Amino acid sequence: MISPVKVWRNQKYVARTIGKTGKIVSWTTIRVPPADFGYQAPYPVAVIRLDTGEFITAQVVDYDERQLRISQRVITVVRRTIQSATDDVIPYGIKVKPMEISNKRITNKQ
Amino acid sequence: MNHERLIIMNIYIIGAATTKFGELWGISPRRLARQAVTDALKDAEISKDQVEALFVGNMLSGMLGGQEHLGAFFAEELGLSVPAFKIEGACASGGLALHAAVTSVLSGQNKTVAVLGVEKMTDHKPEDVATALMGAGTEGERLAGATFPGLYAMLARAHMDTYNTTEEQMAAVAVKNHFHASLNPNAQFHALLTVDKVMKSACVADPLKLLDCSPISDGAAAVIITSDKKQVTRNKKNIEIAASAVATDTLGLAQRKSLSELAATKRAAGQAYARAGIKPEDADIAEVHDCFTIAEIYAMEDLGFYAKGDAAGAIERGETTLGKTNKLVVNPSGGLKGCGHPVGATGVKQVVELVDQLLGRAGVRQVEGIKIGLAHNVGGSGATAVVHILKI
Repeated sequence: MISPVKVWRNQKYVARTIGKTGKIVSWTTIRVPPADFGYQAPYPVAVIRLDTGEFITAQVVDYDERQLRISQRVITVVRRTIQSATDDVIPYGIKVKPMEISNKRITNKQ
Repeated sequence: MNHERLIIMNIYIIGAATTKFGELWGISPRRLARQAVTDALKDAEISKDQVEALFVGNMLSGMLGGQEHLGAFFAEELGLSVPAFKIEGACASGGLALHAAVTSVLSGQNKTVAVLGVEKMTDHKPEDVATALMGAGTEGERLAGATFPGLYAMLARAHMDTYNTTEEQMAAVAVKNHFHASLNPNAQFHALLTVDKVMKSACVADPLKLLDCSPISDGAAAVIITSDKKQVTRNKKNIEIAASAVATDTLGLAQRKSLSELAATKRAAGQAYARAGIKPEDADIAEVHDCFTIAEIYAMEDLGFYAKGDAAGAIERGETTLGKTNKLVVNPSGGLKGCGHPVGATGVKQVVELVDQLLGRAGVRQVEGIKIGLAHNVGGSGATAVVHILKI
């Protein structure tokens, strides 16, 4: 069972983190998911550097394949994280969606 | 506090043993533990009554098996009533248990202690094992639906982006370690791989494929360590633990200062080299933490064996392959990839392999003329790193 208290505590983080912009530092596509995530797979997960300097790990949603790339600009959104049982709270968390197609790599690769 | 000071350890390994690693459905954790410790005691030529404490490295017994209180659990199985502890540090639990045992001997509390690494994973469904392993990550990583292959896949992509590392170079790590495993009777896998076979295996978390990943395994390994000089003289197995070092980093991957290195490995290795009074190039063999092929590439660089960006090509050229190199041989046991990865047992098994190699009893996979071995055990995505240096 999902702890409602844990979900409630997490809301403060969600409220603080929503609507922040940043960019993808690295990403992968999870094809063999953990329990509770089976119905979502395959799905992309990324490490994001927010413009505030904070780093987060989040799923990427509403994306185009071309937007799965290092340095892609993203914005944080609130989404349901997993399908819960009917008598559980519905857990929401932070995910990110791409802002625009990035034509130029921002990293200064040598 | 200056961690890089020379510590006179005077601690020796007098017995070492490992069970077979693999899908051991017919064998319980109790039997695995009993076999490993009994064989290590036999190797040490001492009776169990001379063991003053037991340190158990294990990660998943609670989450998967519903069994905690492992110190007493395994002490009972071994017929001991000595102080006994479970040490948990994710996939570094085994290395961490040895470190805890070393500190207990250094403190003077104990002279002769047993270290057991044990894990039972194959009783459970893969998605349940994946979820349990994510206990080593952060809440944020769990909420994102990340898995350990996924976290290392993001490290792999960062390494590819920074150093132009290729998927074929990563595959070469699996090919080498399966070759070494084919020479190890206790290894989980004996089949040889090719780069092509790795490249064509199913994708688990892009860019990591199934054959880039270490398997889910059962197994146990044990060592007996002592500061009692009489035991060492009598036993004639003069393997000194020259250094035992641990370092930590942020639990989550995202919070690291850089994704192109595992800083905990660098710190633990730096301390270990200073304490043992050696340089990376003095090591003759190394057992490093290749939970994924990319992890061996990080390890080779962060342990100081190669400059950043140089390890992948060197591994691909066979510079660390048994029989192909006069330099450092890496993962002669087959590593986590080929020998198997029962997570709590791995760190102890690495040390058992070094002992067998240094004593010249490693059979067909023996590396000749070696004096110094290094074991490198990592927990999580790099939050814990343990480095041991052994000398003969």
